[in-house]
Amino acid sequence: MPPKISLKKLDRRGGLFEGVKSNIHTLALGVKYLVDPQRSTLLYPKEYIEHRPGYRGFIIFIKDKCISCAACARICPSAAMKMVRVTEIDPKHPDKPRQKQYPVINYQRCIFCGFCVDVCPTEALYHVPFHDIVYENLADMFLSLEMFQVEPQRPATSEGLPVVYEVDEIKGLVKRRKS
Amino acid sequence: MTSGGLEAGGQIPGFIVKKIEKEVYEIFIGPQHPGSGHMRIIVRLDGDIIVEADPDIGYVHRTMEKLSEVREWLKPIPLLERMTIIDACNVTLPYVNALEKLMDKKPSTRASYLRVLLCEINRVASHLYGMGIFGVFIGHSTMYMWAFGDREVFLELAEALTGARLTHTYPIPGGVRRDMPQELPGMARRAVRYMRRRLEEYRKIFVDNPVIVKRLSGVGVISKSRAVELGIVGPNLRASGVKYDVRIAEPYEVYGELDFEIPVFEEGDALARTWVRVEEIKQSLNIIEQAVNWLETHKGEPVIAKEDFDKLPKLHKEVYEREGRVKFVPAHATMKIPAGKAVARGEMGRGEIFYYVESDGGITPYRVRVVTPSARNAIVFKHVVPGHTLMDLPAIYGSIDYFPPESDR
Repeated sequence: MPPKISLKKLDRRGGLFEGVKSNIHTLALGVKYLVDPQRSTLLYPKEYIEHRPGYRGFIIFIKDKCISCAACARICPSAAMKMVRVTEIDPKHPDKPRQKQYPVINYQRCIFCGFCVDVCPTEALYHVPFHDIVYENLADMFLSLEMFQVEPQRPATSEGLPVVYEVDEIKGLVKRRKS
Repeated sequence: MTSGGLEAGGQIPGFIVKKIEKEVYEIFIGPQHPGSGHMRIIVRLDGDIIVEADPDIGYVHRTMEKLSEVREWLKPIPLLERMTIIDACNVTLPYVNALEKLMDKKPSTRASYLRVLLCEINRVASHLYGMGIFGVFIGHSTMYMWAFGDREVFLELAEALTGARLTHTYPIPGGVRRDMPQELPGMARRAVRYMRRRLEEYRKIFVDNPVIVKRLSGVGVISKSRAVELGIVGPNLRASGVKYDVRIAEPYEVYGELDFEIPVFEEGDALARTWVRVEEIKQSLNIIEQAVNWLETHKGEPVIAKEDFDKLPKLHKEVYEREGRVKFVPAHATMKIPAGKAVARGEMGRGEIFYYVESDGGITPYRVRVVTPSARNAIVFKHVVPGHTLMDLPAIYGSIDYFPPESDR
C-alpha cells in the first residue's frame, strides 16, 4: 500500500476538568518514575561495555598478510593512514634486503569509518570492538609499525566488569552483567 | 581609533555602524549562550516585545561543498554525514542516490530496505534529540532526560546494524556496507513496542501537560500561505497544513511501497510542530516494523547491486558470507564517474535535503551543492519571531528544531 497524507487536528478542549485531568496524569507519571526510575548509567571504569562483533573500533594490522598495495592509504577519507617504507631482510636470502611499504595510522585523524578495513584485498586489517584507549601524549597517537600490529589493552578491563546493553520492551535499554 | 571617531561620522574599519532607535534595547544571544546553539541571534527589544530578530549564522561553516571537490567520490560520504551527525543516513543518502544516477546503477531491493530502515531509525533518533532540546529550552528538563535516554535505544539499533552509533557511513553507490545482523529484527521489534508505550507517556508528561500546552499554543504561528512564502520545509511546513513530503512527492528507495501516513496539522504554532514530530515518530516506528519484516522474509539477495556482487573476488564473497560485510575493491578508491549532472533529494528529520552533483569524468566531483533543511528554516527567526515576547524565542527556536551545523555546512 502506498503512503498517504493524513490530516490531524489538535485536541484543544480547554476547560477546568480537562486541565485538572491532564495535571493529575502528569503528576502521577512523575511520581511513578520517582519511585521506579529507569536507569541505564554505565559506571565507567568499574564497568565497561562489551560491544557486539562488528563494532568499528581500533584498527589492527597483520603484517604477514599485507601485500603493500596502499589501497587503505588511498581510500582513507581523513588521510589518517600513511605508507612507510621499511627495509626487510628475508631469512632465506639474507644478502638481498628488500624495500617494502606498510601502512601506519594516526589516531589523531582517524574517524573509524572502516573504509581501510573494507578495502584491504587480503584482510590484513581488522577492527577490535572498542575504542577507549588512553594515550599519554599526542605524539603517541601516531602509531609506529610495531604498535599498529599489537592489539591494545583496554584500560577498563583491569578493574572493570564487562556489561552489555540490551533493548527491552518495558525498560528500554537494560544493562546486563556479562559473566 | 584615534582619528575620525563615530561623532565625526567616520567609519571604524571592520565594523558596521548602525543607528539604533531610542528605547530599543539590543541583545546578542549567543554564540556562547547555552541556549543559542552554534549561532547568534541579535534581538532588538522594545520593552519585552521583540521588534527585530536577526539570525547570525555561519559559526560552524566547514566548507563542505568545497572540500567535497578535492576528495575522491567515496570520501565525501563520511564528510557530509558530519553535517547532521544525528541524522547521518538521511543526510548522505541523496548524495549516494545522485552518484547512482550518474553511474546508472540501481541498488538491490534488499539494500533499499536496509537504507530505509536506517533512515527511519535516524529519523526517530533525530526527532527525539530535537524534542529533548526543545524540552530543556522551555524549562522541562524531564523531557530532555527522557528523550535523550530513549534516543540511546535507537542508537543501539543503528550500532548493531552499522557498527557505529552516529557516523554510520552506511549507504555506498550500489548498495549498503553491511547486511543486517541476526538479532536485529528482534531488537527492532522490542524497541518499537517500547517506544510506542513511551510516546503515550510523553503525551502525558510533555505535549498534553497543561503547562506546556499554555506555553506553546499560539506561539510562533506560521499560516499556510506564509509557510509557503517563506519556503520552510519538513515538519514545520506540515504543521502549517501544507501536504508536502519528499517521500510522497518523489518517492525514493522503497518508500513508495511502504504503508505509512504523513501527519499534517493545520494550526502552525509551536504545539502543532511538536505534535507533527510525535506523530512522525509513530509512523517511523511503523516503517521500521515493515522493513524488518520484509528483510527477515526476503533473504538471499546481496546487499549491493547484483552485477557488482558477481564481480567480487573469492575472499570478498567469503567475508560477505561470514560477516555480512561488503568489501570494496581497491579500484573504489580512485573510481571515475561518467561526466554528467545529477540531482537528488530526500526527506530528512528536519525536512527536505537537496543535492546537485556534477562530474567531469574525473576521480573527484566537479561540484557538490547541498541545500539543507535547516538552511531553509533559518528564515523563521527573521520573519516569525518579531512580535513575540523575548521568552517566546526559545519556544520558537526549539519548535522549529533548527540545527546550526546542518545549516552552515
